[in-house]
Amino acid sequence: MSHPLDNLGDDIRDHIERETQENIERGMSPEEARAAALRKFGNVTRVMEETRAVWISVWLEQLLQDIRYGVRGLRHNPGFAAVVVLTLAMAIGMNTAVFSLVNAILVRPLPYPDPDRLVWLGNYNRFFKAEMVSSPDYVDWKDQAASFAGIVAYGTGGYTLASAEGAGHHVLADVTTDFWDISGARPVLGRFFGPEDRDGIVLSDELFEREFRRDPDVVGQSVTVNGRAVTVLGVLPKGFRFLLPTSFGLQTGNAREIEGYIPNPVVWQHPSRGRNVSIQSVVAKLKPGISIERARSELAGIQARIAGENPEARYDAQSLRVTPLQEKLAASARPALLVLFAAVSFVLLIACANIANLLLARGAARQKEIAIRIAIGAGRARVIRQFLGENLALALFGGTLGLLLARLAAPVIMTLAPPSLPRLGETTIDGRVLLFALAATLGTGFIFGITPAILLRRSKAYEVLKQGGRTSSAGSAGLPLRRLLVAAELALALVLLIGAGLMVKSFWRMNARPPGFDPERILALQVPLSGPKYRAVAQQRRFAEEMLERVEQGPGVEAASVLAQGQLRGSGTAPHNPNVASLSSAQVMHLPHVTFSTVSSGFDRVMGLRVVRGRWLAESEPGPAIVINESMAHEVFGEGDAVGKHLGLGDNVDDPATRASIIGVVSDLKYSRLDAPAEPEVYIPYQLSSSFLGMTVMVRTATDATAMAPAIRSAIASVDRTQPVAEVKTLEQALADSIAPRRFNLYLLGTFATSALLLALIGIYGVIAYGVAQRTQEIGVRIALGAQRSQVLWLVLREGMTLAAAGITVGLAAAFALTRLMTSLLYDVKPTDPSTYAAVAAVLAATALAASCKPALKAAWVDPASTLRQE
Amino acid sequence: MSTKDDRIELLQGTLDLLILRTLLPGPAHGHAIVKAIERDSEELLLVEQGSLYPALHRLIKRGWIGVTEGTSENNRRAKYYRLTAAGRKQLTVQTTRWDKLARAIARILRPESEESRP
Repeated sequence: MSHPLDNLGDDIRDHIERETQENIERGMSPEEARAAALRKFGNVTRVMEETRAVWISVWLEQLLQDIRYGVRGLRHNPGFAAVVVLTLAMAIGMNTAVFSLVNAILVRPLPYPDPDRLVWLGNYNRFFKAEMVSSPDYVDWKDQAASFAGIVAYGTGGYTLASAEGAGHHVLADVTTDFWDISGARPVLGRFFGPEDRDGIVLSDELFEREFRRDPDVVGQSVTVNGRAVTVLGVLPKGFRFLLPTSFGLQTGNAREIEGYIPNPVVWQHPSRGRNVSIQSVVAKLKPGISIERARSELAGIQARIAGENPEARYDAQSLRVTPLQEKLAASARPALLVLFAAVSFVLLIACANIANLLLARGAARQKEIAIRIAIGAGRARVIRQFLGENLALALFGGTLGLLLARLAAPVIMTLAPPSLPRLGETTIDGRVLLFALAATLGTGFIFGITPAILLRRSKAYEVLKQGGRTSSAGSAGLPLRRLLVAAELALALVLLIGAGLMVKSFWRMNARPPGFDPERILALQVPLSGPKYRAVAQQRRFAEEMLERVEQGPGVEAASVLAQGQLRGSGTAPHNPNVASLSSAQVMHLPHVTFSTVSSGFDRVMGLRVVRGRWLAESEPGPAIVINESMAHEVFGEGDAVGKHLGLGDNVDDPATRASIIGVVSDLKYSRLDAPAEPEVYIPYQLSSSFLGMTVMVRTATDATAMAPAIRSAIASVDRTQPVAEVKTLEQALADSIAPRRFNLYLLGTFATSALLLALIGIYGVIAYGVAQRTQEIGVRIALGAQRSQVLWLVLREGMTLAAAGITVGLAAAFALTRLMTSLLYDVKPTDPSTYAAVAAVLAATALAASCKPALKAAWVDPASTLRQE
Repeated sequence: MSTKDDRIELLQGTLDLLILRTLLPGPAHGHAIVKAIERDSEELLLVEQGSLYPALHRLIKRGWIGVTEGTSENNRRAKYYRLTAAGRKQLTVQTTRWDKLARAIARILRPESEESRP
């Protein structure tokens, strides 16, 4: 049947033509006649809209009526409604929570002015795998590039800030003055530093509060930063945050908010050397109308000229990167977030399947009611819409509750999340998140709501009525579909569980530690040694000597050592003496991760290092002596014995003064990052080292390391009060922090996988139990005819296991295809790790078996007499 | 023929009643309905012709009128609107209501004329 709205346009056109015709008959010219007719008719578009609106409101009215009817129906069935609403709330809540993370980190533009014009500039060094810029390059870019409205060079790091109140350790950013324009910041007190200010500091609101108790007189006061006197110039507004990528030092587990800003000296230092030392991070703002491609080609031209003029600098190892800032910021978090998002949408799909299943069961039970309604004249479409209305009501309840859950979960997620996740603090439920939740709600309501409706379309009213009886096979129509849904659920759950399993195994691999290494008993205390007093290495050595002596005397201290890690500048000449392996520049470039660790003789006892060849460093060595680890020995000396060979440590290999002999080789030990393999390492006694600023004191304690921290802290402070301990952690804590982002991903994925397993358990139980209930009579007859109870038991169990087998087979194939997407989240585990696959499949099979057991037992103990009487 | 200034704009809701009344003799297409209203009111009532269509659809929605496709006198396809049984009943109800309303308003506006009545 056609709708009254069909051909509305024709109807109106016909009307106007008739009026025109009449006007012509009255003597008007055709043009006049038509104009008069149109005038008399009014605005055609508006008329059509108003006419359509008449019907839209009817549709809405009826839908609302259906929803009301649905709510009433659900009130009669509170258990069913509660299960559906809770399942939905859980799934939508999880999805909304993850989406709010995705929104904050990947979608929302940076809260700086014109965020789409901000770009990240860097020279990617393929050996160091970092995008940094050398100071001279930055100055050249700034002077020569015309594409940018501003270009800021910056770095972040820990500094010792001392005022009249005392000294403390703080994270500061050194920035060039373009930063203020790029970030759009305005001072609430005082001013920012300009190009002429070399000794100033701008405080964040937090630092202003914590260290200066909001005293406005602090502006103009003098404080010292790393022993240098600077003036407090201004204070930033509350809520201003440093949001540029921090790619050095702070990027691992212990990223912290920037507490203050000092001028970056790059501009006035006029560095002519140092093209090889890339220490600046650079962000620029494109001029309006300049495309990123144009900026890139301009910069590439400048860079080519620099490379031509500086043949000694190794630009061949570098390539220019110009990336939208938003993309650069999100790059580290994107793979993990996308995997999590995919995982959580799997949970939503499983929830949908589960609910569709429940609705199918309910639909089967209500078939008679529906058949009667169709028989007395209700339109099929109307009945289907009524189902939709009911399901929409369910979805809206679930969605609202889910949004509430997401709101509650957000703070929990934020405490769990590693601080290195960029812009996590901006996670809120904003309009976009609300929209997402609404779309998820309506989408799921539609998906699970339409399934029973489609099924209903096929059923014939008269057949249902003819069968009449309660126990007929009326409901079995949906059973194949329900089995399919459950198998799909199991497959999805399996994929999630395998993902989580792979991550658990990665964790296990990361945390594997050799015997003798007890990070929970090792205390790591950062002593940055700042200020002019410690610029000379002799001073640093004296401090270390005295401090080690005092610390080691403390009760409960088993051993102590200094530790300072760095990378050595390579020399340009090749060794003449075959017994001397110098680390030439080329080699350093190809061994980018050689770690040079300044230590003292107690280090092996602190860490439990195992000596493989030769011996460890003694308290004092007769000559320059070093120890290397196995990876290093293998890199430089191959299969040969490294002990007795030499390494050139200085600029000139042939200078015997900088040549050290290798007295021992120790086994590899990962003690700074858990999620990277051990790197080639050289242990240099601090007496030999040229500088060890920013050192850490490592202390092995006999008992509880945390309890000993205050005593050790004061022992260190007693050496020099102006050098406070910046941070104290057990090594176990520090190691855990190094994999905080991975742990966060594991928590979330683990939660999703567990929910998926739970839902799958409910789903499979529901289908099997329903199947048994449907066949109670048949089973009764079988038993009456002499079937063994064990046979009945097996009959039901087999049904469950068939489903499980189907789901697991499909799931394994899907996991095989999908888990490779999470390779970057794994450590030392292949995405197709067979043992994980087998273990997870077994867990799922066991779950399916457990879920089938109850209905199976129920079936086995059916009393044939009572079931047959019911007929 | 009355001049433009004499014309009265229709009261809200009265168009529906007039449409029902116009369809009482038999089905008609949209243009004929407006023309009939204008003619029968001796062109005193001003109907913006377009406003007919939302009104027609409101009436269809309530089930008071129905639509049939037909061919008009000059062999053109057109929609013919006709009164349904429910619409016929509604017309009676609304006419009575309108009469009451008109009497009540008249009584308030001209009380003396009411007294002069027998």
